[in-house]
Amino acid sequence: MRNQVKILGELGSMILIAAITALVGTILVLAVGADTGKAFGAFFSGILGSFYSFTEVLVRATPLILAGLGVAVAFQARFFNIGAEGQLYMGAIGATWAGLYLPAMPLYLHLGIAMMAGFLLGGIWAVIPGFLKSQYRIPEVINTIMFNYIAINIVGILVRTVMANKTSPLPMSPRLSDDLHLPFLADPTRLHAGLLVALVSAVLVYLFLYKTTWGFELRAVGNNPRASSCSGISVKKTIVISSLISGGLAGLAGGSEILGVHGRLMEGISPEFGYIAIIVALLGRNHPFGVVLAGVGIAALQIGATTMQRRAGVPASISLIIMGLLVVLILGRQYWIKSRST
Amino acid sequence: MPLLCMKQVCKSFGKVQANQKVNLTVERGEIHALLGENGAGKTTLMNILYGIYQPDSGSILMDDQPVSISSPGEAISLKIGMVHQHFMLVPTLSVSQNITLGIKERGYPFTDRKEVDRKITRVSREYGLDIDPTAIIEDLSVGVLQRVEIIKLLYHQAELLILDEPTAVLTPQETENLFAVLKRLKEDGRSIIIITHRIAEVQSIADRVTVLRDGARVGCDNIGNVGEARLSEMMIGRQLDTAVRETSHQNRLNEAAVLSLENVSLNGRNVNILSKLTLELKPGEILGLAGVDGNGQKELAEVIVGIRRPDSGKVLFEGNDVTILGVRKRKRIGMAYVPDDRHHDGLILDMDLSSNLILNAHDQPPFARFHFLNDQVRRRHAEQTITDYQVKTPGVGTLVRYLSGGNQQKIILARELDGIPKLIVASQPTRGLDIGAEEFVNKLLLAQRDRGAGILLISADLDQLIKLSDRIAVIFDGRITGLLNNHAGIDLAEIGLKMAGVA
Amino acid sequence: MDTGLIGILTALLAASVRMATPLTLAGLGETFSEKSGILNIGLEGIMLSGAFFSFIFAYYSQSILLGLLGGCLGGVFISMIHGYLSVRLNVDQTIAGLALNFLALGLTSFFFLMAFGRTTDLPECPVVHQIAIPLLSDIPIIGPAFFNQDPFIYLTFLLVALCYVVLHRTEWGINIQATGEHPRAADAAGISVSGTRYRAALLNGVFGGLGGSYLTLALLGFFMENITSGKGYIALVVVILGRRHPVGVLMAAILVGAAEALQFRMQTMGFGIPSQVFNMFPYVITVLVLLFSIGKNRTPAALGEPYIRNNR
Repeated sequence: MRNQVKILGELGSMILIAAITALVGTILVLAVGADTGKAFGAFFSGILGSFYSFTEVLVRATPLILAGLGVAVAFQARFFNIGAEGQLYMGAIGATWAGLYLPAMPLYLHLGIAMMAGFLLGGIWAVIPGFLKSQYRIPEVINTIMFNYIAINIVGILVRTVMANKTSPLPMSPRLSDDLHLPFLADPTRLHAGLLVALVSAVLVYLFLYKTTWGFELRAVGNNPRASSCSGISVKKTIVISSLISGGLAGLAGGSEILGVHGRLMEGISPEFGYIAIIVALLGRNHPFGVVLAGVGIAALQIGATTMQRRAGVPASISLIIMGLLVVLILGRQYWIKSRST
Repeated sequence: MPLLCMKQVCKSFGKVQANQKVNLTVERGEIHALLGENGAGKTTLMNILYGIYQPDSGSILMDDQPVSISSPGEAISLKIGMVHQHFMLVPTLSVSQNITLGIKERGYPFTDRKEVDRKITRVSREYGLDIDPTAIIEDLSVGVLQRVEIIKLLYHQAELLILDEPTAVLTPQETENLFAVLKRLKEDGRSIIIITHRIAEVQSIADRVTVLRDGARVGCDNIGNVGEARLSEMMIGRQLDTAVRETSHQNRLNEAAVLSLENVSLNGRNVNILSKLTLELKPGEILGLAGVDGNGQKELAEVIVGIRRPDSGKVLFEGNDVTILGVRKRKRIGMAYVPDDRHHDGLILDMDLSSNLILNAHDQPPFARFHFLNDQVRRRHAEQTITDYQVKTPGVGTLVRYLSGGNQQKIILARELDGIPKLIVASQPTRGLDIGAEEFVNKLLLAQRDRGAGILLISADLDQLIKLSDRIAVIFDGRITGLLNNHAGIDLAEIGLKMAGVA
Repeated sequence: MDTGLIGILTALLAASVRMATPLTLAGLGETFSEKSGILNIGLEGIMLSGAFFSFIFAYYSQSILLGLLGGCLGGVFISMIHGYLSVRLNVDQTIAGLALNFLALGLTSFFFLMAFGRTTDLPECPVVHQIAIPLLSDIPIIGPAFFNQDPFIYLTFLLVALCYVVLHRTEWGINIQATGEHPRAADAAGISVSGTRYRAALLNGVFGGLGGSYLTLALLGFFMENITSGKGYIALVVVILGRRHPVGVLMAAILVGAAEALQFRMQTMGFGIPSQVFNMFPYVITVLVLLFSIGKNRTPAALGEPYIRNNR
């Protein structure tokens, strides 16, 4: 009985948050003087208007889910990884490198190795701040942000120098061979097997976090590092491992974008996927399955907003406002729930 | 006309009724003891008086005038001062800055420090409380900090002084000094409320006493009208059967030591926390470690179980050098650790009961195989523990955060004793527990001793040490200053002097 | 050749000081905030909002003073939301700050587009001009850097001195420090913890907003989406490097500013090296300096911790 009231309360607060967000969205649409009917029509038809548009949501959700899983793993270990963006770019470098320069081999092996290279490079990019935090207590928030900018500049340097496409003046790498592409799932849409990678990753992350001793230690350290070390769990090792996996997942997101969407390395392949992944993790409550739902939800919000901009002239940055607002409201809701339970 | 009158004060935290219709009257120029068990609601009542908490209902009168005290600032302006059990001093500031914190002295905000310092020196000389106003708090010892707190109240010209368990951090001799100061303050016409759970203290210092039990007032009387037995009955609610310590004593003292420390040293930032400490513990004995808090007890415990590495010296377990082993390995070969700070060191409050029970062994069969956790085994183990230790909980999936202190401590004990350890390091194992839980823990420790485990019992509570220990070691400033056999005629004064590093 | 080198040094130092100014201003605000116990990652959002509103005010009124006012208000708007979330609702300050960065980026981009549409030529606002201080500005190398600048920069120096006095020479500074080190003790001494923290948040908004205004009203003269592009994050680093001391913050900001100035210089010199190599400078320097500051930092004990009086 008590539980039911609690669940109803949680449900109610979620509905309230949704209502506030919708209200603010409407006000913003009205503010630009757009026709609300037309705007919201565009928003929803952008998401569910056709099978194609829905697959576009999933294409967009793929990197968000992967990077969001990465952020969630780190947050569970209380490693504030704000660096998914940089890790994603490093993963993209790794996958492109493996795709361009490795000797010929069977297609699926090559794809697998390219994704693994993405995982590895992304992981390394996160392990450095992870190591610095665990060993020297250097705040990871600042470090991971700096590593984002450095990674983005490294991409800029690479596509102009060693990985440049000699036949084109544009700053980009040569195109990967046409075969070297994650399989398409629903021709003629752009939906690719990266989504499967994301979903399988979510299941694996779930098993890792909740069914293995490593995940147990990771959650223990995240909740109380001091008590964990008092019972013999190595906090330093755990933080390094969690940063490796976290960065690796973000790196997979980069690899999947290269091998599933772009086919080559260039600047700007991530419209802040790595930062939005933080919101995805937060909305998904750092739980792998929550992250999948939140990833699809945020992707839908962004795709819908883009359509709304195209058809009704409402700036797409409305989706950023909504995201920021959602997080603020959810933080507020946590306070509300806490203050009621005591 | 009494100085203070608290009437029908009620306060609850969630479902816990911390104060129920409590009345308290304090006259001018008296020392009033507020006696009660841990958790009886003494501190809550005083925090209400000091404006930290707001009462749910009830009223407060000062000089017969109703007052509402919604913040410590208002309490201070009503000339109420409080020395909290955990000192309220900012470690990075100087003594003088701490004393004037929150008050506007001449020249504010460019306060004339020199003048303030002179005033502090004057006040401190007047009461024989020597202090250097320019010293930085984090460099001072606990005894000095208490002096700073008291000078702070005098500087604020408080008329009503509240002291929360002031003797917990003092040696018996320091306690006597404190009491002398309090008596002088009383003679000056100030009123003092002293919170305590020690009946002997009440009898030696107080004029009147109010006893709280389970958040309610059970009585108030002049100290001359109530004897020790009556006070203890009021406080505990039944007559205490004075537990007679049965020594195991023990033909095992000739056996090889289960733990020996050889010249263990540990360096802090500027000071030596432990210096060349040597100690031996036999199987089947309880070795009590007496000492004022903060003399290296916690660090010693952590060196023994492997949370800290000593800078020099050796830790031997059953004759083998384990100095370089980590916590995990030491626990596996038979060490157990009951830390003093349950919430920070012992438990992961936001994980469930069953997970907290396997914190030491989560990667060992039967709880895990090939790094995969076995949820069923874990749950069954938790259910068994709940029955064995009579843990009160809605279920095995309950977050430990929502258990009471006593039940939380049972979880730690169950976890640590699970491996049938040969050595148990128990640090303040009954601190903050109610009588029932305390008895449970004490019995458990005695049973472990009888089984043959060696126990290092660290406690600031001399009564507990004398009740349970076979031998008592005294620690001061990171050194063992004395080692005594515990017998009926044990000399408390001698322990006290050793705690102060004098003898 | 000699004069050439001096000329380059002079220009470089002057540019470093200009680059350092927004970082110093924002860093001063964050210093107050962190000393009182609030870690505000939302500094980027504060600066962005400050830049936007200073531009809007200056653009429509053609007055720089009103632009400054707008910048302060814009910064305060974001910092007070963060203050409310941290002080009243006790939420996770890092996450709240990140969320506010999104919110500020979204709001400023949205309203900028709404007001000016999608244009290629950006609308411009008035900017402040440099004023040489007689005599002092003739000192070689440092003269032009410190005494032939815009009034904004002189104001910044003044504020550094003022903040130093407030934080280290007055009771106000002691109260702030007490709130960040041991809020319970501050509370018991009758200092309002939430009041102190709200005031610090307010200052953070004013200073951060001024820092953002500097970008529009002094450096650039226009606004564009995400104009701060990470300056707020770098300002956070400046606070750590400067060890939460106003003068330290200024020094750290000049160091990072020099890296930025050097980057522009190198780019224009054209070594045939991609400009990204130089773009990385400030970030790499930041990481390196963080590395070298290992163990030297003392963070306020209660930084990032909500204070809940009724907590037992």
